[in-house]
Amino acid sequence: KRVKEESIISEEEAAQYDRQIRLWGLDAQKRLRGSRVLLVGLRGLGAEVAKNLILAGVKGLTLLDHEQVTEESCRAQFLIPVTAQGQNRAQASLERAQYLNPMVEVKADTDRVETKPDKFFLQFEAVCLTGCSRDLMVRVDQLCAQHNIKVFCGDVFGYHGYMFSDLGQEHNYVEEKPKVVKPKTDESNDGPEAKKPKVDPNETTMIKKTASFCSLKVALEVDWTNEKAKSSLKRTPVDYFLLHVLLKFRTDKGRDPHPESFEADATLLRQIRDDVLEAMGLSSELLPHDFVSYCFSEMAPVCAVVGGVLGQEVVKALSQRDAPHKNFFFFDGMKGSGVVDYFGPK
Amino acid sequence: MVTLQLVGSLRKELADSLSTCRVLVVGAGGIGCELLKNVVLTGFKNIEVIDLDIIDVSNLNRQFLFQKKHVGKSKAQVAKESVLQFCPTANITAYHDSIMNPDYNVEFFRNFMLVMNALDNRVARNHVNRMCLAADIPLIESGTAGYLGQVTVIKKGLTECYECQPKPTQKTFPGCTIRNTPSEPIHCIVWAKYLFNQLFGEEDADQEVSPDTSCVLWDGDIKRVSTKDWARSTGYDPVKLFNKLFKDDIQYLLTMDKLWKKRKAPLPLDWLEFVILSGCVIACPQGVTGTGLKDQQVLGVGGYCQLFSRSVETLHSVLADKGDGAELVWDKDDPPAMDFVTAAANLRMYIFSMNMKSRFDIKSMAGNIIPAIATTNAVIAGLIVLEALKILSGDVEQCRTIFLNKQPNPRKKLLVPCALDPPSANCYVCASKPEVTVKLNVHKTLVLALQDKILKEKFGMVAPDVQIEDGKGTILISSEEGETEANNCKFLSDFAIRNGSRLQVDDFLQDYTLLVNVIHCENLEKDVEFEVVGDAPDKAPTPTRSQEEGKNIANGNKESSEPSTSSEGVQVNLTLMTFSLWL
Repeated sequence: KRVKEESIISEEEAAQYDRQIRLWGLDAQKRLRGSRVLLVGLRGLGAEVAKNLILAGVKGLTLLDHEQVTEESCRAQFLIPVTAQGQNRAQASLERAQYLNPMVEVKADTDRVETKPDKFFLQFEAVCLTGCSRDLMVRVDQLCAQHNIKVFCGDVFGYHGYMFSDLGQEHNYVEEKPKVVKPKTDESNDGPEAKKPKVDPNETTMIKKTASFCSLKVALEVDWTNEKAKSSLKRTPVDYFLLHVLLKFRTDKGRDPHPESFEADATLLRQIRDDVLEAMGLSSELLPHDFVSYCFSEMAPVCAVVGGVLGQEVVKALSQRDAPHKNFFFFDGMKGSGVVDYFGPK
Repeated sequence: MVTLQLVGSLRKELADSLSTCRVLVVGAGGIGCELLKNVVLTGFKNIEVIDLDIIDVSNLNRQFLFQKKHVGKSKAQVAKESVLQFCPTANITAYHDSIMNPDYNVEFFRNFMLVMNALDNRVARNHVNRMCLAADIPLIESGTAGYLGQVTVIKKGLTECYECQPKPTQKTFPGCTIRNTPSEPIHCIVWAKYLFNQLFGEEDADQEVSPDTSCVLWDGDIKRVSTKDWARSTGYDPVKLFNKLFKDDIQYLLTMDKLWKKRKAPLPLDWLEFVILSGCVIACPQGVTGTGLKDQQVLGVGGYCQLFSRSVETLHSVLADKGDGAELVWDKDDPPAMDFVTAAANLRMYIFSMNMKSRFDIKSMAGNIIPAIATTNAVIAGLIVLEALKILSGDVEQCRTIFLNKQPNPRKKLLVPCALDPPSANCYVCASKPEVTVKLNVHKTLVLALQDKILKEKFGMVAPDVQIEDGKGTILISSEEGETEANNCKFLSDFAIRNGSRLQVDDFLQDYTLLVNVIHCENLEKDVEFEVVGDAPDKAPTPTRSQEEGKNIANGNKESSEPSTSSEGVQVNLTLMTFSLWL
């Protein structure tokens, strides 16, 4: 599906987007301008992604969330006014989101994403899922991949966060590389006539590349029982397994671990850890005993980090510029480490 | 099982200290907006933010607390108001002011549990570094440029301070490269900016534009009228100006044939020739694309001749309107000033056989513009707050320097934490009795130059007081206005300063004392006024093992008046051991 590029950028856009056009170029900005994105979930991470995409200048952003604003979510997110309790979260975020950049069409949708028919998703160039169950993410990913819609998933659990992307089997993009200056062939001749004009050392050239992505389903169902996988375990970020545990919790309880029920949730988390790792044929010591302390609630600075990386991945994919991270990014806010790793078939 | 009381994700003790402590955010721009948002959402209650700047339309792609209707207003003020919209209970004090104002003394800094920088220039960073050392308050330092960023923590006695590692100074070009033998577009752009100052702004002896005869052994005539006086004498006639700069001066350069033995000789332009030929092939625009920005077009030579002429007329008119002795200050956002530099630089590029550049590209280089996006700042600001939480929990040893790469390194890391380094033993800022040795010519160095170029510019002092250690405690420079003004135009030797003399320099605001050892030297390099012994000139420092990915922080676009020499198109390979983010 080709993105329509409007060839004229207004003076207003040129002035506002100046500092980013100087980074990723005018072509990239035009592609962004032609892209519609669906963002599911307007909690802390969702708000960060919304801000980043709206500022980047996409054509349209639809905010989809069926939940209501609670007292807690007021403090968790910077788009929702404190007076908005009882309102729908997407609705409440709309006004401040729109103010971020009047040139973007921002819409709010209050439906449950599970109830949306397949064709709903087809109007977008990219879909970004936060706070969604594993099954839902797998289903939406499968559907979108068929129609060449870029899919992104992300969540924040306390100090930890992740993002996943599926850009399809054939994602084309360009990379800007410095131009290679060819050596002179007439170095022996020093006469003024032979002098060629200098090649600007800062000149660059665009190189076309392709990347291939697997589905979320396949990425989550990696087999760890074979020898090869076991040997790669040492270099595997533990957060991948933490993600499995937290997604299982979300599926089983219909919510994320909550500080109000810390004791019970912590116990359940440890149980799930044991079950999940055992089912994978792995030791439950892979996730240390105290892992539960750091995955409650959404930490604002962690949302900022994950939302920043996720937002930039969406921008890269839509603008088809620069190598995408393949296919997971894991952030550990305790250690300050952010790792990109691939899970799926070689 | 340990009972853990959580407030959100945080332990109760930590959450409590967040709501009582005071923090200072220095800067309300790209990083600052993101940082304020994170700080407030994390639960900090007492926040002070300071920024001297006002909002510009080019800020709006990332400084999300600002809207178009706020353009022209104080960043600190509007940031505070925006934050209160989503967190009315936050206690925020905003200062539309420079952090270097002496009102913000050591006592002021002592009010805070920690200070978080969100700056874009080295001068302010040096200053805040010293204030935090003096007040013994932890400082979280950060910087971004394009896709790259970094965060680090500075704690007196425990870690390196911002100035422990000498940072390479901004690249400058030798006079004869600018005046005689430019070989890159940047040389022509620097020349054009100098020309602007010579014609319309503050004339500077270091910013000559006419051919330099001292580079080669030359016995041609050395008649030199100041460029401004010459221009005045012709009434700023654009054609006369054009012919002098782009024809006569070039022809003069051609007579210095030694220069052109191994270089392509420049081609002089003639106004009449291009007026006649404009509309012909030579004057046609190079590479016009219908889909580019207007500013991204590269005109033909004829187009730049016309642009030169128009901008000279406009600027002259503006100058005349301002009255006698008026001077203009170059500003990239002032259209005629930018037009002038675009035209003059391109004409010079053409003369020296370089491909001309668009106004868009020249603006980047002349204006020191660093491309910037919201997401990089968002990530860095998130990391800043996470470091802050470690400090508040008493876990300073968990703090790290963290680098944000554009692509993951060979070990798959996109965010790379590195251990903090201990203070440098001979740091001229944070060592217990800082001392430094400076080589200069005591007969040729003015007291004013010592104050401005050495103590303020090089050693980052704001208001230095200098005493000579001559047994009499002679006061050489006083920070009190007027007190030692009479000394400014005297040479150091006039005060019996010679080889081996020692100067005690104090900056009371920064609570900083530096002992300067003077070495008299008569044969410094050309164009070099002084040398600091132990400095690695214009080279990045070699990394120690823990400095895996280098240690230098992006400085944004306020680095200096010198133009940017790197374009964002050049890939910085972060899998190498060092990179530097200052520009």
